[in-house]
Amino acid sequence: MKYLLLTIITVFTITQVNAQNYNFGKVSKAELEEKWHPTDSSASAAILYKKEHVNFFFDESRGFMQRREIQFRIKIYNKDGFDWATKKVYLYKGQKDESISGLKGFSYNLEGSKIKKDKLSSDGKFKEDYNDYLKINSFTMPNVKQGTVIEYKYTINSPRIGIDDFVLQYNIPINKLDVKVATPQYYIYNSQLNPRAKFIPKLNKTTQQVSVPFDYKIDMIDINEENVPALNAEAYAGNINNYRSGMSMELTAILNAQKVIEKTFSTNWEKVSKTIYDSQNFGGQLGRTSFYKDDLEALLAGANEDFEKAILVENLVKSKVKWNGNYSKYAQKGIRAAYKEGEGNVADINLMVVAMLRSQGVNANPVLISTRNNGIPLFPTREGFNYVICCVQSGDSYMLIDATEKYSTNNVLPQRVLNWRGRLIEAKGVSRWVDIKPNTKSVESTMLNIKINDDFNITGKVSKNLTDYIAYRYRKEYAQATPESHIKALEKDNGNLEISTIDFKNRKDIYKDVKVSYEYNLADAVDEIGDKLYFSPLLFMAMKENPFKLEERQYPIDFIIPYEDKYLINIMLPEGYVLESLPKSEAIAFNDNDVKFVYVAKANGSYLQLKVQLDINNPTVLPKDYKDFKAFFGKIVEKQGEQIVLNKAKP
Amino acid sequence: MPRINFFLVTVFTVISFYGFSQTESLYNSYTIPLDLKANANAVVRFEEKVVEILDYDKINVKEKRIVTILNEYGKKHANALEFYDALRDIKEMRVYIYNASGEEIKKIKEKDFIDASAVSDISIYEDDRVKYLKYVPQSYPYTIEYTSEVVYNSTAFFPGWQPIGGYYVGIEHSEYKIINSAKIELKTKKENFDAFDIEELSDKHFIANKIQGIKYEAYTPELNNLVPRYKVALKKFNMVGVEGVNNNWSDFGKWMYDRLLTGTDAIPQSTVDEVKQLTAGIDNKIERAKKVYKYMQNKTRYISIQVGIGGWKPMMAKDVDKLGYADCKGLTNYTKALLEAVNVPSYYTVVYGGNGIRNIDSEFSAIEGNHVILCVPNENENIFLECTSQTSPFGFTAGFTDDRDVLLVKPEGGEIVHTKVYEADDSVQKTIANVYMDDTGGFKAEVNITTTGYQYNLHKGIENETTRDQQLHYTEYWANINNISIDNITVNNDLDHIVYEENVKLSSRNYASKSGSRLIFQPNMFNKVTKIPPRYNNRKLEFKIDRSFKDVDEFIIQLPENLKIEAMAEGKTIDSKFGKYDFKLEAIDGNKIKYTRTYILNKGNYQKQDYKAFRDFRKQIVKHDKTKIVLIKA
Repeated sequence: MKYLLLTIITVFTITQVNAQNYNFGKVSKAELEEKWHPTDSSASAAILYKKEHVNFFFDESRGFMQRREIQFRIKIYNKDGFDWATKKVYLYKGQKDESISGLKGFSYNLEGSKIKKDKLSSDGKFKEDYNDYLKINSFTMPNVKQGTVIEYKYTINSPRIGIDDFVLQYNIPINKLDVKVATPQYYIYNSQLNPRAKFIPKLNKTTQQVSVPFDYKIDMIDINEENVPALNAEAYAGNINNYRSGMSMELTAILNAQKVIEKTFSTNWEKVSKTIYDSQNFGGQLGRTSFYKDDLEALLAGANEDFEKAILVENLVKSKVKWNGNYSKYAQKGIRAAYKEGEGNVADINLMVVAMLRSQGVNANPVLISTRNNGIPLFPTREGFNYVICCVQSGDSYMLIDATEKYSTNNVLPQRVLNWRGRLIEAKGVSRWVDIKPNTKSVESTMLNIKINDDFNITGKVSKNLTDYIAYRYRKEYAQATPESHIKALEKDNGNLEISTIDFKNRKDIYKDVKVSYEYNLADAVDEIGDKLYFSPLLFMAMKENPFKLEERQYPIDFIIPYEDKYLINIMLPEGYVLESLPKSEAIAFNDNDVKFVYVAKANGSYLQLKVQLDINNPTVLPKDYKDFKAFFGKIVEKQGEQIVLNKAKP
Repeated sequence: MPRINFFLVTVFTVISFYGFSQTESLYNSYTIPLDLKANANAVVRFEEKVVEILDYDKINVKEKRIVTILNEYGKKHANALEFYDALRDIKEMRVYIYNASGEEIKKIKEKDFIDASAVSDISIYEDDRVKYLKYVPQSYPYTIEYTSEVVYNSTAFFPGWQPIGGYYVGIEHSEYKIINSAKIELKTKKENFDAFDIEELSDKHFIANKIQGIKYEAYTPELNNLVPRYKVALKKFNMVGVEGVNNNWSDFGKWMYDRLLTGTDAIPQSTVDEVKQLTAGIDNKIERAKKVYKYMQNKTRYISIQVGIGGWKPMMAKDVDKLGYADCKGLTNYTKALLEAVNVPSYYTVVYGGNGIRNIDSEFSAIEGNHVILCVPNENENIFLECTSQTSPFGFTAGFTDDRDVLLVKPEGGEIVHTKVYEADDSVQKTIANVYMDDTGGFKAEVNITTTGYQYNLHKGIENETTRDQQLHYTEYWANINNISIDNITVNNDLDHIVYEENVKLSSRNYASKSGSRLIFQPNMFNKVTKIPPRYNNRKLEFKIDRSFKDVDEFIIQLPENLKIEAMAEGKTIDSKFGKYDFKLEAIDGNKIKYTRTYILNKGNYQKQDYKAFRDFRKQIVKHDKTKIVLIKA
């Protein structure tokens, strides 16, 4: 009997420990005593519990109102986690005014063996108007130290039908995640999880019938998860939010009082595109022609080819209308006003290009884009697109134009646009996908002439030819620079290098390759040790370090565009020296020529010639290939550092 | 990590205009004198700022500015913005924009300015707001004419004059005038007037004529200290309803003590008892202060909240005690109250915090500083406490509040003192390594790094990183070592002695490059200088090295049996006024190489003529840090 009792007690105690109580205010001593997170010992804080419940209630005068209940319990392990004790809540204001209610918060600390509880009082709560559309309610928790557990809850009341995305992963771990969405039958939403996330939660979908204040069904989604790992950013992965676990709710239809569909929204990309096209601020802009008619006629006189016309129109728009920095797929001012005032958002500018070209009988169409910071949409939604460019088709070939930037050209688009794919919409709202990433390689070719002088200083000349994206980036960086600051930038962190007489051709002629050449003097690049001279032939152009530092990666590397970087190096040996050894010629490839590196060195009397070439054929490297890729890049760095050895000639 | 509270970031936003009849030609960009376009992204064609003192608590500031923006980098020099709050009222704000040839192309009224909260991202609350111009230029150059009128009812900050607001802006005409209608006594100070063409029409009316743009050059001291400035303060002023006097630092400091600090330092008896108990039996006051500082660090955290008398009055100490958070003022004042309770006197201290060194002007009392720390007076040396950091060692100021003039706010009045200077021997980095090379050119190594002073500040914090990020840190720290792998890391932050110690085991494949039967490698693996300061054909500005330091390195390299040294330099010593560098290579018993290196950099203000020599010094170091050893099969 004695033994039996013991067993029962033990079992009971274990259950007690495991059964966490997440009710507000039920913070346990064990949570306060915890020194580090059991599965992520380096976490500075952890979300012990996150609750986010969205439901709609019926208001006699305003109809269905959205209510979003938020509750957090957060453990602070160390001082780096203190930021979690301050929260800013952004609310919409104006017509769709939102309000916050029921904000309560407590900090819990262990004092001796007692739990001390401090209330979030009014002196820790702040309000401010942020801008015309947003206001901020912020609060900061009292008495937060290492080891503190904080807890807060509040409710946002909103007249909006749209439901904000659910964030299901943070840069600290979540122990317990409790998300519920309950939507009335009258609003139909499509839920979608981020498929690119490492952590994918399970959705439980149910329905419930209510009868007060009247009969209707409620659709419910539940997420109940434990131990969501922290999301860690990685270099060269692009937008980390593309990999964050989350759920979006897209409104697809509204039913009327008789529960019959009254209005439908996007359900597939075709419909999404059509809905966008039908807007006054999109398709509605494309028929406006009168205000630029005269300017265009003068400009296009004599132009026959569609692409020729496209380039002329692109340049006209670039010179007349400047981008105000705002992204949108919808015109902000309207193309007429933008043309007159000389500024506009992305849509004002690029829809103007489409309208102008269409008015001239050119087959030009808008292409909807989701920019890199907008990420890749989870499902068909109007918000999935936030940008628009222009596509001109002539026969089988097409040309993509974004006239918001000075140096972008046909098919060479600003980097923000190079994400996912584009949705091209033709005149009647019919749409299809188009590729926006380039399939031709951008090329940087460098000719490097090296002459080693008697004092072992190196002098020589560099000539570069840059195409497409490489040229675009170079122009963005240096086209505005004075020769002096251009030189300064090239000299920076390149040792004892002095550049003179720089020449930058086609600086502004964006339809031609960039050509840069300069003369240089490089000291301290040749080591004289004993009777021998040592130097590495790529000089200041060598890759100095392997940019890939992590041991392993969770997310792909994104080089964005395919490119080729090649060098032709001619070396003239100093008088009185002969070649002792050259680095070995070698060609190495990664993953079936996805990336390739070739190094060829040849001697010819007192001249040496090297060809060094790196080809990034596939700009995406998957995490499973990362270790090999890192080693491959290490090999390239190593190879570029190899030395040529010269020996004093015997008289 | 200490943080700054910017009290009010209004340096030269406010200005004015009285009946100057400029000609049309000022709107025409083609009339800019050629020499003013050199080194300029914008040219101030005409600027007039008139400040009228209506009372000790009311000043009116009128400003008119015509600026030609030459390119996109020049846009910020339009300066068409005003901060405002309950006590700063914008009466007028207006902009006209002209194209290159001077035709008006746009007019922007006050209501078309963007109105936003001036809250910074790091701050949870500030009551400042700002109105600014958002204009998308169609082409360059263009000219903007900005007119504004602002009334200040809080006069502790007095808009002075600094015609050169930054690098790369030329000045054609900038004028400043004070009309003292209320005959309030003024304090004024002129700085750097002699080096520029400044016309003095009266003792409070100046014109700056034709000043060329200043090009940025590396290692330049704060630009503010090199350009003409006119500082003004009212001897009797109003700060958010509180009247003040300011004749000198002594009485201004006293005013601060009486009106901003007095009555804010009460703390609950329970807390008094707690710190008393904590320090019971400790005779030495510094030891007591250490205990109390630690207590405060564990109890509080930093939060930026800018409220209370223009952001100048600290939060009540009892509230800090209750809530456990405050900004720098609140935390400093709270610490002061705690120290008081254990009989350690201390002074609230106003400072310009930052990695760059900026002094409180000892010759001109005015509202200054952007941060507050606490001074504990001690026999031979004042001790300064950073109260916003929960991790800073006791008395540690390097990198944020070191080596600068600060204001002690004492009950009897203000006093300017200088904070601790970290000399080369105070800021040491010592790297000791045992390296085992293999015959393929790879190595394994055990490295020990200890740092003190300013270098401690540069290294600390690794202990809080995740394993992944610690590894990442060392692969970046030793980016010169290709194919590196970090095998083991232990770090120790000794807060008592303020020494940071790192022990890292690492290895590299193919570190040495092969060339036929030879291996070539650089023995300085772990502490290389690779960057040479930028080259200027004709340096225009003096330069400054902010802090001294000393690096000491000792690496023992064990060679594999089958390799021997073919060639190796002996060493090199370089002495210059900027510092000292030497390295030595010795073959020692057991097929080992001993590499030793010392590098000392001396802080100081140097003439522009010395820059070339400074660059040469660094060039030499970069060169010798790359010294190579050639090994050959034994």
